[in-house]
Amino acid sequence: MAVSSFNCQACRWSSSPSSTLAPRARVSVARANTVAVSSKKRGFELRAVAEATATGTAMEAVELKKGIAELYDESSGLWEDLWGDHMHHGFYDPNAADVSVLDHRAAQTRMIDEVLRFAGISEKSPIRNDKRVVDVGCGIGGSSRYLSSKYGANCKGITLSPVQAQRANALAAAQGLANKASFQVADALAQPFPDGQFDLVWSMESGEHMPDKAKFVDELVRVAAPGATIILVTWCHRDLGASERSLQPDEKKLLDKICSAFYLPAWCSTADYLKLFESYSLEDIKAEDWSPYVAPFWPAVIRSALTFKGFFSLLRTGTKTIRGALAMPLMIRGFKKDLIKYSVITCRKPEETTV
Amino acid sequence: MRLLTHNMLSSNIKGVTNGFPLRIEAEKVVEKQVDLNIDFLKNMFPKIEWKALVSASRTMGYAELPEEVEPSKLDSEEFLRKFHHALLELHLEEGALVCPETGRRFPVSKGIPNMLLHEDEV
Repeated sequence: MAVSSFNCQACRWSSSPSSTLAPRARVSVARANTVAVSSKKRGFELRAVAEATATGTAMEAVELKKGIAELYDESSGLWEDLWGDHMHHGFYDPNAADVSVLDHRAAQTRMIDEVLRFAGISEKSPIRNDKRVVDVGCGIGGSSRYLSSKYGANCKGITLSPVQAQRANALAAAQGLANKASFQVADALAQPFPDGQFDLVWSMESGEHMPDKAKFVDELVRVAAPGATIILVTWCHRDLGASERSLQPDEKKLLDKICSAFYLPAWCSTADYLKLFESYSLEDIKAEDWSPYVAPFWPAVIRSALTFKGFFSLLRTGTKTIRGALAMPLMIRGFKKDLIKYSVITCRKPEETTV
Repeated sequence: MRLLTHNMLSSNIKGVTNGFPLRIEAEKVVEKQVDLNIDFLKNMFPKIEWKALVSASRTMGYAELPEEVEPSKLDSEEFLRKFHHALLELHLEEGALVCPETGRRFPVSKGIPNMLLHEDEV
């Protein structure tokens, strides 16, 4: 089944503003071929999708990865100082009025619990303590340590940032979790694990950084064991209407600015991700838009940055972090325009994998 | 990096059919004490690639693990202590993990393996 093209809203990481199907460089085509060959067993064609998400030359991919690693090397410490060890949105009641800073750490752990519940993992059917979890784009390991300490799961985290991996391991050791949670430097697009290794595949707000969404999903599915749950929480742009071929120019312009500040490659929509997941034999694929639950987050981050402590800490970090900070109002604008969606996607690999 | 982690890592360089287990080049090995948890060990045992753990622990200087394990061994505290030591208490601080097919070295620095592939290996 050929997967029809989906719109890939290009940002600075590709050479033309409205990339579609044309492969841009030898490396992009080679990658598409590799993906097509590896997916032959599943009997479907990923080529069109891989080409659609190809965002440039090999040089640009290397540049992006380096930029991501450096951004997080530079800014992780500041983030941890102000916000604690979770680098994701908090979950808030939509009707909550003014939320104090202290609530934000609780909101961040609540987000993990709510996401697990959405994926069918809760007190009724918990993660057992012999379950293996991969934390894809683990940051400084907040999710992994939470899953290890609360549920006893064994977590392996991967990040592009050596500083983050170091900090994640140090925090795990300090919390007595070193034998339950460990962290490595690795690429989510080439996970260093054999097939079918993990009972829970967890990606919390790292999908935004993946330049090749098809390869990203392919790896998430590959490392999932039979019966495993896959959870992907990520920023997407709104689904396109039936008659739309792309976002509006002003929408693309806003996303472009956010991309360059946060080292993000092209955005896709929730519908695009669902199409990718549906091309595998997966069960219970579902997605929800949780934008209303994260609405207080960016205003709160901005308020933190504008405090005495926040402001001077920010000045001390570096230009990448400052540029990222200046882009925060753009995120608020994106949510308000219903352009940016906070998307929670989950599915399950069948117990017996079908070919 | 402890051997529990090593037991789950593989080389996925393009063209490699079997990138597991990675060979270990040990430059600096450190022992860190971890509390014994028998339930954890019993639950983890079926998921461990035993031969890979045995040879990895030997490279790290620990030769006490038996080559074969009969199920009854899991009730032996002596065996469980050796299993525990190899799996959780031996740390590779500096060295490398080597792809068994291509010989490509993945450096391990300050206990953290860097498994990033180069563009031509993907």
